[in-house]
Amino acid sequence: MDLELFLMQLFSGLALGAILVMVALGLTIIFGMLGIVNFAHGALFMVGAYAGLWVASLTGSFWWALLIAPIAVGAFGMLVERVLIRPLYKRTPDDPLLLTFGLGYVLVEAVRITFGTDGIPFSAPESLQGVVDLGIGYFPLYRLFVLGVVAVILVLLWVALEKTRFGLVVRAGARDPLIMRVLGVDVSRLWLLVFGLGVGLTALGGVLAAPMRNVSPEMGTLVLAEAFVVTVIGGMGSLLGAVVAGLLVGVAVSMTALFAPEMATIVMFGLMALILLVRPQGLFGRPGVGA
Amino acid sequence: MSSTSHAAPAALRPPQAVGEAGFLSRWRVPLSIAVLCVLPWVLPSQALAVNVLIYGLFAVGYNLLFGYTGLLSFGHAAFFGGGAYITGMAIAHFGLGWFPAMLVGVAGSSVLAAVIGALSIRTRGIYFCMVTLALSQLVYYTALQASNWTGGENGLRGFTVAKADVLGFTVNLLDPMQKYYFLMVFAALALWFVSRVLNSPFGAAIEAVRENETRARACGYDVERTKLLSFILSGALCGVAGTMSAIHLSIVPLDALHYHTSSIVVMMTMLGGAGSFFGPFVGALVFLLIEDVASLWTSHWQLIVGVVFILFVLFLPKGIWGTLIAWRNRP
Amino acid sequence: MTTQTTALMQVENVGRTFGGFVALAEVSASFERNKVTAVIGPNGAGKSTFFNVLSGVLPPSTGSIRFKGQELAGTKQHRFAHLGIARSYQITNLFPKLSVQENVRVAAQALRTRYNLVMNRSAYPELVEKADAALAHVGLHAKRERVASDLAHGEQRALEIAIALVADPELLLLDEPTAGMGPEETKEMVALLERLATERTILLVEHKMKMILGLSDRILVLHHGRLIADGTPQAVQTDPEVRRVYLGQNDGYA
Repeated sequence: MDLELFLMQLFSGLALGAILVMVALGLTIIFGMLGIVNFAHGALFMVGAYAGLWVASLTGSFWWALLIAPIAVGAFGMLVERVLIRPLYKRTPDDPLLLTFGLGYVLVEAVRITFGTDGIPFSAPESLQGVVDLGIGYFPLYRLFVLGVVAVILVLLWVALEKTRFGLVVRAGARDPLIMRVLGVDVSRLWLLVFGLGVGLTALGGVLAAPMRNVSPEMGTLVLAEAFVVTVIGGMGSLLGAVVAGLLVGVAVSMTALFAPEMATIVMFGLMALILLVRPQGLFGRPGVGA
Repeated sequence: MSSTSHAAPAALRPPQAVGEAGFLSRWRVPLSIAVLCVLPWVLPSQALAVNVLIYGLFAVGYNLLFGYTGLLSFGHAAFFGGGAYITGMAIAHFGLGWFPAMLVGVAGSSVLAAVIGALSIRTRGIYFCMVTLALSQLVYYTALQASNWTGGENGLRGFTVAKADVLGFTVNLLDPMQKYYFLMVFAALALWFVSRVLNSPFGAAIEAVRENETRARACGYDVERTKLLSFILSGALCGVAGTMSAIHLSIVPLDALHYHTSSIVVMMTMLGGAGSFFGPFVGALVFLLIEDVASLWTSHWQLIVGVVFILFVLFLPKGIWGTLIAWRNRP
Repeated sequence: MTTQTTALMQVENVGRTFGGFVALAEVSASFERNKVTAVIGPNGAGKSTFFNVLSGVLPPSTGSIRFKGQELAGTKQHRFAHLGIARSYQITNLFPKLSVQENVRVAAQALRTRYNLVMNRSAYPELVEKADAALAHVGLHAKRERVASDLAHGEQRALEIAIALVADPELLLLDEPTAGMGPEETKEMVALLERLATERTILLVEHKMKMILGLSDRILVLHHGRLIADGTPQAVQTDPEVRRVYLGQNDGYA
């Protein structure tokens, strides 16, 4: 085994995992606060990628796409929360789930109508193309960039969650929704913001992923399943779990591709099945929560 | 430690479980069979009638788990597609006759359901749907990769069943009408079986689990085992629908295992009304009618189905049939 | 204890922790047949944890529970009903969309047949008879056709008891049977409990002190997860430790 190839594949897996971290974090944050599984999450990832594509074609700049697309899709998420999901909080947890599931279905078809059913290539800006020599081997610059962006987002999120009142409330609320009433928090506005944030994160994942693969209306389906796998492995409702499991799954997929390409997609589901058998609450989950 | 903190999370259950009562309940199997008998004569095409038959049964099997046991699965394509593939492979690769092949298909989807069910039931509440979705994706990608056996992306071909000998009669399966009534026999048997299960003590047990898991456990029900058995029965019934689809189409498209197929059955069950006997068939009929009519003037009929589905979740969560019988059962 | 041989249930050094939090520590007690024992204590004293441990909802972290000589620690919760231990819940916990009769019938069925796919439910008329008898016992027989969620609060509490009773349990665990009840409904429930007390072993958590004193043969007092008193109502009432714990508590307790 060539060490350089091994390192490159490891690195590529980390970049893949970083995207999954964005998606799974969004899913986990929404679930932790609102108690609903957002089944439109994969579709919103895809919408993020298309929004990026569209903004890039309008402005001619990848950077604007990277900035505007997640914010715009996040704002759309807030609209969805307010108009469609809000009337369902009084009902069983199934109803918001079924609604977001229907929304995902509609979004995929809406994108097919607007952008066509075929995949569209989306290239990274020239300044991010090519490879860079890190001393131990040559690595694609764009993947390095993806890792950097995700690292920055994680730091920002960490600061927002640990150092601000907003974060205090989110962390407390994820543990026990009653606490928020005690703290006198405007729950309705908080849920709006959290849903927007979660959707924005997955949309950012979509924009970042776009140059690494073709953009197609179906790209969200696999991502949704991958995000679920990451959430189950990491532990239900655990943000740290989402980060660790996201990277783990990325690396596992990438490494399997090196040895047995046909097993690459299958391996993460196998990993999830294994976790369910030996530690159903996930790596970082507390027992009794979801398992 | 306050006592409320030990309460299990609210059991997932369809928004409003409502079942038929009185006449509709007592005569549900003969009534269903009567309706199925006239279906090819009243619907615009026989192809539509066969699809209503197959997807209706698929939804009935799904409803046993979702509507009656209160478990929302997003992975039932695995059992529908699994049944179809295993039947097709049994004929194409092992030269089995159509009937043993169908039996093997149903047995295979039951085993698949036992494995997926045992894993997903280890999680509680809302995670159940995530795990079922992920595990069904595992089946999908396995079928995609095992192309020597499954035909991969092109689907499984080469197992046309042209005629079937039943009790001395020969059914010509190339004739749409004969094929319809041939397949209807299996649907009718499956419906009779479902009706029997719902009337049985086990039927009462799954309703108890749906209504209140905590209480059911305190009463002495092994909730996990009850759920697993329901999951397996549901998977087996969806497997019957899958084998019927294989015999009907003479191919198994890879799409049979796709998330899209799991989605369709959730939508059909919701549109018709979860937790009622006729609801899933009504839902399948409405869904396929929308597809049939809307696809005449747009290739994007899924947008319409999706919007209708969202409106139903918001405003008519009991579904069409569920709302009708709730109105009929009103005090 | 001299009565150990006749005790229905023996609890020895039972403890339960959640993470680092000790909810219950070193509780020992034994319960004799056909006696009513009340468990009291301020909020957070560990009463509910104690109940959940005794009914199998939570496995004990330490200690042992023997029921008719059989060790219960490690037994799955659903087995408890089969062994003869039934419970009611503090928060009304029914099968809301089933009929009143079916609520009780399905509880009776759990002990008779659970995985039978072949027979018809109506092939077990004795279950319906049992259900009707239990409903008659709690005064709900006339409402057996109603949907459970349509009942008044007090009636739902009575239905809770009927569900527990239909299993004909040797030990009945009642978690605040009069929670949320008005004076009139409470009076009816007390009358029902008095009838039950003559024929069963009952363990109950309650806050209404007057009711406890009238009903119980014995009172256990929990405080911060520990058993601080165990004795007759008279003895517990005059116990200095108990008085100290309850001092300054609101009137509901004393």
